[in-house]
Amino acid sequence: MLSLSLEGVVVRFPDLAEPALDLPGLEVAAGSSVAVTGPSGAGKSTFINVVTGLERPSAGRVLWSGEDIARLSEAARDRWRARNVGLVMQDFHLFPGLSAIENVLLPARFRHIRLPAGLRDRAAALLVEVGIDAGARGIETFSRGEMQRVAIARALLLQPGVIVADEPTASLDGQSGAAVCALLTRLARAAGATLIVVTHDPALYGRLDRRIALAGGRRADALHAEAS
Amino acid sequence: MIRFVLADLRLHALGAVVIVLLIASATALGMAVRIEERALRLGSARAADRFDLVVGAAGSETQLVLSSVFLQPAPLTLLNGDVLRRLSEDPRVEFAAPVGFGDSFLGYPIVGTTAEFVESLGLAERAAEPPLASLGEAIVGAGVRLDPGYEIRPMHGLPGQEAEEHDEIVYRVTGRLAPTSTPWDRAILVPIEGVWKAHEHGDEAHDEAGHDDDDDHEDHGTEEAAARLGPPWPDDLPGVPAIIVKPRTIANAYQLRGEYRTETTLAVFPGEVLTRLYSTLGDARQILTAIAIGTQALAAAAVLLVAMAHLAQRRRQIGALRAFGAPRVAVFGVVWAELLLVVGLGVACGVLLGYAGAKILAIGLSRQSGIHLPVTLEASDLGFAAVLLAVAAAIAALPAIYAYRQSPAAALRS
Repeated sequence: MLSLSLEGVVVRFPDLAEPALDLPGLEVAAGSSVAVTGPSGAGKSTFINVVTGLERPSAGRVLWSGEDIARLSEAARDRWRARNVGLVMQDFHLFPGLSAIENVLLPARFRHIRLPAGLRDRAAALLVEVGIDAGARGIETFSRGEMQRVAIARALLLQPGVIVADEPTASLDGQSGAAVCALLTRLARAAGATLIVVTHDPALYGRLDRRIALAGGRRADALHAEAS
Repeated sequence: MIRFVLADLRLHALGAVVIVLLIASATALGMAVRIEERALRLGSARAADRFDLVVGAAGSETQLVLSSVFLQPAPLTLLNGDVLRRLSEDPRVEFAAPVGFGDSFLGYPIVGTTAEFVESLGLAERAAEPPLASLGEAIVGAGVRLDPGYEIRPMHGLPGQEAEEHDEIVYRVTGRLAPTSTPWDRAILVPIEGVWKAHEHGDEAHDEAGHDDDDDHEDHGTEEAAARLGPPWPDDLPGVPAIIVKPRTIANAYQLRGEYRTETTLAVFPGEVLTRLYSTLGDARQILTAIAIGTQALAAAAVLLVAMAHLAQRRRQIGALRAFGAPRVAVFGVVWAELLLVVGLGVACGVLLGYAGAKILAIGLSRQSGIHLPVTLEASDLGFAAVLLAVAAAIAALPAIYAYRQSPAAALRS
């Protein structure tokens, strides 16, 4: 369970006059769930990249339970992310040619030469929990809804303190989307993980504690003042 | 990590196989050039081993060696018969064997020589003792498919002789040489006197067509002389194209070579001539090697291109790996290992393919020339393969470094 605190975070790209992201202050309490919404180009992806350490802000501090990941080296941020972040993406990023359970285990395989004891059992249990019967068939034979559920199992594998989901339901039909919404919020709560979801889906953000609206890289919601 | 690599290879199995084949053929070419060139050098050197000193009429040294040692058909200027007599009476000479060619039978060259030389080559089976004791006898090389007792009617190279069937000498196979792994395995050895007789007749018939009395007389005379074959030679010896000399000592060999390098005669050590030939061959090898390297470079460029294209296609996938926390080194490792696996497999296949190709080529060449080509895979060949692999590993690192440096955020945005 991790809390997030952004202080004076600014992200600039060399070819843009306006900063892509400008957040003087933002707090997310540990174990809470937050929806990040906003039109295309509002800075949602940049927000995700900054809070997961994929990108380093041009200025400011990104404090996860007091640890500033903006100061970490690239390799250290990779390590931090592997240990603390469960990532769920719009187009799943499952790896074809591997079975569901191998996909769930893949991030762990890149961190350990030998899988830690019990991890394979945990992966199998997670697949049962998300409603996938773990067969040997390749992931490419799965439906999109099933793929996103496998991706959720993967995000939960290493018991991350925070789960970050980027438009997890955007490429799913209504029914699968609803199932994924329910699953994501239920499992994050059960795991006690902080949940940050970028989404356009009212069905999804309706289930979350809070909503942060972005526009042009800045806070656009009435709750701006609450950030203190 | 290796699962991930294998899964990706399985997914692109066809492309991977094509790349493996491409690398294998480029490697095989370089390999075959090395192996074949060495086999040719060793094989011909071994073939020349039994021929210490060759004396012929003044002319091309290379041609003398090619004709006498490798039995390559070419008209040689005849050496005066006195030279043969002088050499065989020389105390420094163990034996001096004339080699007379010009005729053939079923594509096998017929070589006129002496019993001494036949003995020196070694007999595997013999019917008569000693060999070539009479004019109608023939000893065949190990590779000649004629059984003892078979009758050989030489095909003369000279015109007009076919008509004179009554003159034609018939040889009967009486023995077989032990295998020598030289072109002599394909030769039919007959007494030199037989070759002289046939060619004398040819000349007579040609020069004095219609003078049957002369022919008969000549025939009679030769047969009388033929009562005893081989040295010591009579005074009026006909010319011979080449003489193979076995000196008693190495010092004698050098003395003889010096003495018989005159205005009219030529004496060579076949080994020496071959060495000179190899340096020419070496140039050819360099050209072939350059071609092989060029091919390998082209293959490397093609593989690099495919690797980069494949990487571009996987950019998001690799970005995602990083997003899930895979270290940069692991990303480098995945790309590098996958390429190395493909290249390594290609080089390994290429070594085998090159060896097999060289072997097949050598078998074909041996069948044609009789020279046994020893095709071997040596440590230096594997060293060559290792160098190829090392270069490939260095080149494969380029896409891997590219993947390593790529920003995951940028890759995922694309």
